Amino acid sequence: MASRKSTGTSATRLLGVVVLLMLTLLALYGLVFSAEDVVQGSTVRLMYVHVPSIWVAYIAFGVTALCSATYLSSKSRSLVWDRIAGASGEIGVIFVALSLVTGSLWGRVTWGTYWVWDARLTTTAFLFITYIGYLAVRRLGGTHRQRARRSGVLALLAVLEIPLVHFSIKLWRTLHQDESVDILNAKVELDGLMLFSLFLGLVSFTLLYTWLVLHRQRVLFLEDAVADRGLDAAILSRRDEARV
Amino acid sequence: MDLTPRTSSESSDISKSKRRWLPILVVVLALTGGGVVVTKFLTSAIDYYCNVDEIGVRDGCIGTRRIRIQGIVEEGSLKRDSSASSFVLQFNKARIDVTYLGDPGGIFQECIPVVAHGRLRNGMFESDRIEVKHSNVYVEKNASRFDEANKEAAACSILKG
Repeated sequence: MASRKSTGTSATRLLGVVVLLMLTLLALYGLVFSAEDVVQGSTVRLMYVHVPSIWVAYIAFGVTALCSATYLSSKSRSLVWDRIAGASGEIGVIFVALSLVTGSLWGRVTWGTYWVWDARLTTTAFLFITYIGYLAVRRLGGTHRQRARRSGVLALLAVLEIPLVHFSIKLWRTLHQDESVDILNAKVELDGLMLFSLFLGLVSFTLLYTWLVLHRQRVLFLEDAVADRGLDAAILSRRDEARV
Repeated sequence: MDLTPRTSSESSDISKSKRRWLPILVVVLALTGGGVVVTKFLTSAIDYYCNVDEIGVRDGCIGTRRIRIQGIVEEGSLKRDSSASSFVLQFNKARIDVTYLGDPGGIFQECIPVVAHGRLRNGMFESDRIEVKHSNVYVEKNASRFDEANKEAAACSILKG
């Protein structure tokens, strides 16, 4: 259980330390140990943030959908699932934004432009906007259960965009390059330490996401508790007024 | 117990209703933004380019209209002077001469796939915008099989596998 003074526990503190160490290692491998690309030079280092960011966003939105489905289908309708869904959605939006920004900077150097309306970039922008909408729906008002029901349905629809984003480079002709690691066909187009640095980025960002979700869902629990307490206080105050 | 609504705290009700409007406004803005993105996508993104061998063959790849063509800058074809660059784009054994006013800059070089925006005039593709479609192959600069001093040779080596 989290202490009364913070949203952390011994486990999350330990996880936080591991995340810090992993991010330090990533910075060392990404910026120092791994070599420049023969064509792109140092610009390739953006990949170690860009790819893990969108990877985490996919995981985050997947978790949002999974928790929403659990909430909507369970008999108990525990709001814990809704809070994890909300926390994961918020963090996913931040990581999509990070992916768009780093991709844009990378594009300026390699493609010669910050943005093009090709299938990959357009579907990613659409994904970003959809989840901003999801977060707005969560704040429309009403009871916690109304919030959980509305946003849960939207999360189940929005997650269907992820395959569209991921496979857009296969479905349409895009300026965005094809994938460099194709697990299904056992094809890797990255030299030694570049591949390791990318792998380190994926692991570090996934752990960072886990740490952020654990804390954020606890903050959301506290926000709900404050809102409930405010409602109780308002009802008591009305009763007192009625007595007078 | 009297539970009729209060009238003395109308101001707090107004601020609450204002607060409720904000997310609705964000949802409307998100829907509008999504609509713009989808429209752009339908008009531009589905066929981002035509390959060089499809010019005049594939639907929507008529060279007299403004189009985007994709191909690889042929080795040894790039010529630059103070005001323009010219090169040959090739794809699937089809070739086309391209001119571009200025220097495309960035990582533009021979043996690299590019997308050129422009139109065809008298057999020459006149481009006013070049985008480099970089490969998904990443090779360490210090790898012994590539000459570090010659990026273009390295790019051509990657292309040839």
